[in-house]
Amino acid sequence: MNKVKSIRVALFLASVIAGLCSVSSFETTARAARQSETPPSSTKPSNDSGAQAYAQHCAICHGDQREGNLPGFPPLLGISHRMTDEKIADLIHAGKGRMPAFPGVEDGELTSLLHFLSTAEGAQPVNASVAAPTSLSEAGGALFQQNCAFCHGRDAQGGETGPDLTQSKLVRRDRSGDEISKVIREGRSGKMPPFSFSPQEVRGIIAFIREREAESAAHPGGRRGVAVADLQTGNAAAGKHYFEGAGGCTKCHSATGDLAGIASRHEGLDLEERMLYPPNATSRVTVTLPSGKTVSGMLAYRDEFTVGLRDAKGVYHSWPVSRVHSTVESPVEAHVDLFPKYTDEDIHNLMAYLQTLR
Amino acid sequence: MKLPNDRLFRLLAAFFFFLASLSPLAAQDLENSGLLHPSPDSWPTYHGDYSGRRHVSFKQITPQNVGNLSLAWAFQTNQTAEIKSSPLLVDGILYFTVPDNIWAVDARSGHMIWHYNRIATKGDHIGHRGVAMLKGWIFFTTPDAHLISLNAKDGTVRWDKIIADVDKGYWSTMAPLVIKNHVIAGVGGDLDNLPGLLRSFDPETGALQWEWDATPPAGTPNSTTGGMTWITGTYDPELNLLYWGTGNPTPVLNGKPRPGDNLYTCSIVALNPDTGKLVWGFSASPHDTHDWDAVEVPVLVDGDFHDEPRKMLMQTSRNGYFFVLDRTNGKSLLSVPYGPVNWSLGVDKAGRPIPNPEKEPAPDGRLIAPDEGGLTNYRSPSFDPATGLFIVDAHPSYSIYFAKPADGTYGWAGADYGLWGKGVIEAIDYQTGKIRWSHEVGEGGSGAGVMTTDSGLTITGDAHGNVLALATSTGKTLWHAGTGSSMQSSPISYELDGRQYIVTSSGGVLFSWALPENP
Repeated sequence: MNKVKSIRVALFLASVIAGLCSVSSFETTARAARQSETPPSSTKPSNDSGAQAYAQHCAICHGDQREGNLPGFPPLLGISHRMTDEKIADLIHAGKGRMPAFPGVEDGELTSLLHFLSTAEGAQPVNASVAAPTSLSEAGGALFQQNCAFCHGRDAQGGETGPDLTQSKLVRRDRSGDEISKVIREGRSGKMPPFSFSPQEVRGIIAFIREREAESAAHPGGRRGVAVADLQTGNAAAGKHYFEGAGGCTKCHSATGDLAGIASRHEGLDLEERMLYPPNATSRVTVTLPSGKTVSGMLAYRDEFTVGLRDAKGVYHSWPVSRVHSTVESPVEAHVDLFPKYTDEDIHNLMAYLQTLR
Repeated sequence: MKLPNDRLFRLLAAFFFFLASLSPLAAQDLENSGLLHPSPDSWPTYHGDYSGRRHVSFKQITPQNVGNLSLAWAFQTNQTAEIKSSPLLVDGILYFTVPDNIWAVDARSGHMIWHYNRIATKGDHIGHRGVAMLKGWIFFTTPDAHLISLNAKDGTVRWDKIIADVDKGYWSTMAPLVIKNHVIAGVGGDLDNLPGLLRSFDPETGALQWEWDATPPAGTPNSTTGGMTWITGTYDPELNLLYWGTGNPTPVLNGKPRPGDNLYTCSIVALNPDTGKLVWGFSASPHDTHDWDAVEVPVLVDGDFHDEPRKMLMQTSRNGYFFVLDRTNGKSLLSVPYGPVNWSLGVDKAGRPIPNPEKEPAPDGRLIAPDEGGLTNYRSPSFDPATGLFIVDAHPSYSIYFAKPADGTYGWAGADYGLWGKGVIEAIDYQTGKIRWSHEVGEGGSGAGVMTTDSGLTITGDAHGNVLALATSTGKTLWHAGTGSSMQSSPISYELDGRQYIVTSSGGVLFSWALPENP
C-alpha cells in the first residue's frame, strides 16, 4: 500500500510540475520530453471546445472528470452553483495561490470553458437536441482536423477555399452518406484532392460532419457563409439598365430566353456565382486537318500540345496542336472580360435584377 | 549588370567540387561551408542556396539539346499526398517529404534507401516542403509542430523537440533553415487567433536558442495575431541577416478587431540569425483582410538598380505586388503589381500598398483580384542573372469576399469564393516591373515553381501536368513531358558523375530528367 501510495504521490508531483511548466512560454526539457515520448493522449476526447479547453488547461490538476484531487485541488463539479461565471473567469485569468493564471484563455475559448464548467456531471458537452458525440465521430473529428480543416474550417463551417459543409446542399440531402463518401474518395476536379480513407474512417468523418451540421442548426446566427438575405442590397432597375447596356449581357443572354425563371432555379450565393462566372460553361472548337477537312465539336481538352473535342455523336478525337489549325469559341470569356470593369454596386444591382426573373 | 557574387560562387563551387573529388567516400558530411557555397553535386537547402534565386550554373542541358531530355528515373511514394517539397541532395542521396514521411532515395537510380514514417495524430496535414541538413543530421518538421532530428544514414531519430503547441492550433509544414549553429523553424496556424513565431534550435542538442514573435500575444487589446512563418527564408552571410516572409493577420477576413497596419503580419522581416532580434520589417500588405501571406520567397540579388549597385531583396507577393527592397535597410526600391490587383489605392511613400477600405470583405460581397490563393503562392520563383528576369508562376484571378458581424472575430471570420483564375508564367524586368514575356499555362492555374539555368532554360509546369522547359529569353516552349498531375513543388537541378539532372514532382511521384546516356 505504502509503495502504491508513494508512486501516486510521485506521479502527482510530476503532473503538477508538468502543469506548471506548460504555463511557461518556453518549452522546458521536461515538457518537451513528456510530449515527445508519449503520444498525445486524452482519456476523454471530445469535440466540444469547452471540454477541450478544460482538458488542456485544467484537467491536469482538477481531474479528467472535474473530480478534483483533495486536499490540494478542489473539485469543479457544480462550481457554477458556488461561483458566478464572472468570478470563475477572474480566477482563470489571475490565478490564485498555487493555481497559475491563464490570461490567454479568452473570448470563445473562455465562453465555452465556462459553459462546460456549468454542465452537470457526465453531461454531454453539446446541445441536448444534438446527437451525442460517439467514438465514431470523435475518430472522424481527429481525421477531419488533420485533413479537412485547413479548407473547410475546424468546425466544418468553411475556411480557406473550402465551403461551409454544415450548409452544403449535398451534405443535407445525402442522408445515406454515399455522395459525401464519393466526394471524399474522388475529390472534386481542380478544387479538392481525393483522399484514401478506409470505409470506417469515411464513416467517422461523415459522423463528425453530421455532428457539426446539427450543432450549426442548433445555434443559428453564428454561422459563416452567405445567406440569401445578405445579397439584397442592389437596385433591380439599375441592374436591368446595366444588363441591357454597359454589361453587354444581352449579346448572349435574354431575360425572356435562357435566363427566364433563373431565380426560381437558383438563389443566393449560387445564383451570384453563376452570374459572375458560369460553372461548366462549354466552348466549341473547329479543327482544320492537314487535308483541309474540318471537324467541329465541344472542346474537351486543350494544352499547348494537344487539342481534343467531342463530336456531335459524343466521340472523343484529339490531334497534336502542331499538325492542325484550331479555332475556339468561348462565349464565357465575356464574363472574364467584365471582371476588371465591374463595380461592386454593378454586381449587387445585377444580382437584384436577376432575382426578379422568376 | 554587376554580379560579383555569382562569379565568386562559381569559383568557389569549382574549388569545392575539386575538394569533394579528392575524398569521394566522405559521406553525409555536409558542413556549413557546403551550405554557404553549395557544390554542383548538392542541393543542400530548400532553396538550393541561401539566396533563394533557384538558379543553377549548369550548362549541360541547353536550349539546343533540351529537346532530347528524357526520364532518368521516377520514384513512386504510393501515397495520395502530393509532393510539395524540394528534395535535398547531399552525397548522392535525395531526401524529400510529404506530411509524416521522409524518403531517402539514391539520386543516381531513384531506388529507396530508407523511409521514415511518423503518424501525427494531431495537427494540419496540408502539405510538407522538405527537410534541412547539417553534418549528417536531418531536421524535419511535423504536422503537430515538432522539430525532429534524424540520422541521415538510416532515418533513426536523434532528438524530438516542440516548435509550438499543436493543441493551441499550430502546425508545421516548412523545411527548416540551417545557418551556422542554428536550425530555424517556423509554423502555420491561422485557423485560430495565434501569434506567428520563429524558433532557433541548437543542431546538436535541439536546445531552444531564441524565439521571434511576429505579433503580440493573443488578447492584447487593439492588436492583431497571426504572421505565420511557413515558408523557408533566405540569408545574407555578409550582412548576417535572415530574411523571412510572414503570413496573414487573424481574424483573417474581419479587420475590425485589429486596427492599424498589423505588424509584423504580411511582412518581410530581417532578423539577426544569432539572436532572433528584428533589424527591419517591411509591411507588404498593411492591414490585410484577404489572407495574402507575404511568405513568398524573399529572393536575394546583388546587381545594379537604376545604375547603382545594390544589395536587393525581391518578392512576388501573394497580394499581387512585385517588391524590390534594399535589403540592407528594408527601404523600397520598387512596388508594382504584376497582374490584376483591384484592392489598393496605390502605394504610399514607403512603397507599401494602401488597402482600399471599400474592398474589405462585406456582408453583400466584394469583387477582389487576386483571389485568396493570391497572384502567386508558396512555390518558388526564380531570378535569372543573365537576363535580369524575375520569373514567377502567376495566377491572375477574381473572387468574392464576404464578412458580417455574425462571422465573429475568431479564425476565418468570413467567407470567400474563387470565381475564375488562370496560370501565367511571367518574366518580370526587376528594374521596372514590366512584364517582358508571359506564357499561359492553363485555366485554374498551374501551381508549379520555377527554376532557371545559366544555359538559358526556365523549368516549370502547366495546369495540365506537363513539365515545361522554356527559353528564358523569350518564354517559348522548348520541351515538355506529360506527368499526369500538375507540379506542386519547385524544380531542382544538380550534376552527378558529370551528368546534369533536373528533378521535378507531380502527384506522389518524383521524376528525374537528364540527357540520354548509352544505352
